[in-house]
Amino acid sequence: MDADKNEIFTEDQKDILQEIMNIAFGNATADLSEIIDIYVILSVPDIKTISAENLDSYINNLIDLKKNTKIIEQKFFGEYNGSGLLVFPDINDDEISTILDHSDDINSNDSSEQVPVNEILIEIGNILIGACIGKITSLLNTYVTYSPPDIFPSDTSNKVCLSYHTDKDKTGLVMKTTFTFNEKNIEGFLLLLTNDESFDWLKKALGKFMESYL
Amino acid sequence: MIYEQIFHMVNVGIVILDLKLKVVKWNRWMEIHSDVSCDTLVGKSIFDFYPNLDIKWFNRSCKSVFAFGNTFFITYKLYKTIFPFKPISSFVTLFDNMCQDCIIGPLRKEDKSIEYLYIMVSDVTKIASYERKLLDMGAKDGLTNIYNRKYFETKLEEEIERCNRYKKRFSLIILDIDFFKKVNDKYGHLAGDYILKAFTKIIAKIIRTSDIFARYGGEEFCCILPETVGETALIISERIRGGIEETVFEYKKDIKIKITVSQGVAVFDNNNITKTELINLADKALYKAKKQGRNQVVIA
Amino acid sequence: MIKSILVVDDSPIARKMLIKSLSEHGSYEITEARDGQEGVEKFSTVSPDVTFLDLTMPVLDGYDALIKIKEIDAKAIVIVVTADIQAKSIETVMGSGAFSVIKKPASPEAISGILTKSESKIKKSQG
Repeated sequence: MDADKNEIFTEDQKDILQEIMNIAFGNATADLSEIIDIYVILSVPDIKTISAENLDSYINNLIDLKKNTKIIEQKFFGEYNGSGLLVFPDINDDEISTILDHSDDINSNDSSEQVPVNEILIEIGNILIGACIGKITSLLNTYVTYSPPDIFPSDTSNKVCLSYHTDKDKTGLVMKTTFTFNEKNIEGFLLLLTNDESFDWLKKALGKFMESYL
Repeated sequence: MIYEQIFHMVNVGIVILDLKLKVVKWNRWMEIHSDVSCDTLVGKSIFDFYPNLDIKWFNRSCKSVFAFGNTFFITYKLYKTIFPFKPISSFVTLFDNMCQDCIIGPLRKEDKSIEYLYIMVSDVTKIASYERKLLDMGAKDGLTNIYNRKYFETKLEEEIERCNRYKKRFSLIILDIDFFKKVNDKYGHLAGDYILKAFTKIIAKIIRTSDIFARYGGEEFCCILPETVGETALIISERIRGGIEETVFEYKKDIKIKITVSQGVAVFDNNNITKTELINLADKALYKAKKQGRNQVVIA
Repeated sequence: MIKSILVVDDSPIARKMLIKSLSEHGSYEITEARDGQEGVEKFSTVSPDVTFLDLTMPVLDGYDALIKIKEIDAKAIVIVVTADIQAKSIETVMGSGAFSVIKKPASPEAISGILTKSESKIKKSQG
């Protein structure tokens, strides 16, 4: 974890945050497979603080936008405030429809219509972003509410611009994890962005987390 | 007291389920549209009354809400019938069932643990009808109401892409009404329009639902026959040729018009050819059919 | 009786948390290791009574470290501590000879339970 500005979090706080993320993503992986039959491997998250003005270029360096790039965004609100971006760098419609089991869903009898790819992506976003955020928030003893997920219109632009990060003085906390769906050869990454409005709360919550274990 | 009233007065359905998916609350909106009273349902499994919900996506969403506290935003496009209610408006004819968007999320106790889940159901039948109409306007030809050239080209590209990936084959027919200009000159453009409409109706009955039939422009039409090559493709185009040849088109009762159609067929054999090259192949075959005397099928 | 414990985890905080819970249960000679490789090395020099092992670590991960530790001492009591407690991962580590698997963050009750279980195992093998 490195900051590109003056240090916002102490070394201890960074360590706690990293460990909480390890635990949260590990728990999320386990529950997704054990409870919901979704077999996905989430890597150990990489945590960075990035100033708002560098955030777009950071994201565009990560994502090489192609015709088949799919990005789903879901915002969350509460003491912990921010957004999750689920990125599939290169995925076609057939692959998307294999991620979740849709074998007995009622809509499939209407074979003349195409698979509603965007709707499936939204459901995947609901599940993956919700699982990670849900585990993080429960470790930090809070909860959030969610906005409906949005699909980034990949054919209208060749760059990702996050409209809500307009205040250049602000700093964001970025957590990046790569995910792979077992046996499906589908991979991508998940970015969790936190605005600095949540930092004061986050520092307190990290302190409380440590108190309960140390 | 006020909250209770709002709970029953809002124009959305609200259902509250416990961890075992038994009904805890069922608001007035749900009572009205389901014709099932809250008292009948409370304490019973939602699946007792709506067995159609006992499927993967619904179970997956509920389990996920209880495990992670996340919120699902499900639109009518993904899962058509959530609660099978009749459409509210007496005028709507596009859909047999009410189109519903739904939100599934957690309800928590004071200690933040999840106690119940809620389902909020909104009626989006009207929006769905507008969307259907808009989609049709973009994809269909105004006169004949079959697909237009733009839609056809998109579909052709998709079909080529899919066949390349799965090593499948398909056929493309290009059809052209013989001496159509003469129909227009002799009987007028309205008669010509009538012929185009009647012509497409006959062909629509001959082809299969998986085939994509489109108006390419003027009196020229295209048909994509997925996973169909050789003999079968030939049988279909012969049926079209025969069907048109034997039809007597009656315009305004007293005017009887007979037409024929020429067709060029090209096969996509995952041989790395592009959309344009495939259309050119079919076009050349069509040209040959015209040159050899019309009212016939030529395979490229 | 358990005298010495080896704690292998790349996160200093995770080690702190675990050591805190351990010291509440009794007093032990505790050795720390920051990755799987160091864990294997310290295991052979210290020969601890019980080893707590994280799974996701740099250099050498927990899965491989477990195999190497069991090669050094087939009777070693290794408790895997992981956030990802999928049936599959549990199967893999139990197959490699782990004594038990506990979920991160480990509650004091889970720690004390597993220590009691380890003690009775040691008594049995001594007696």
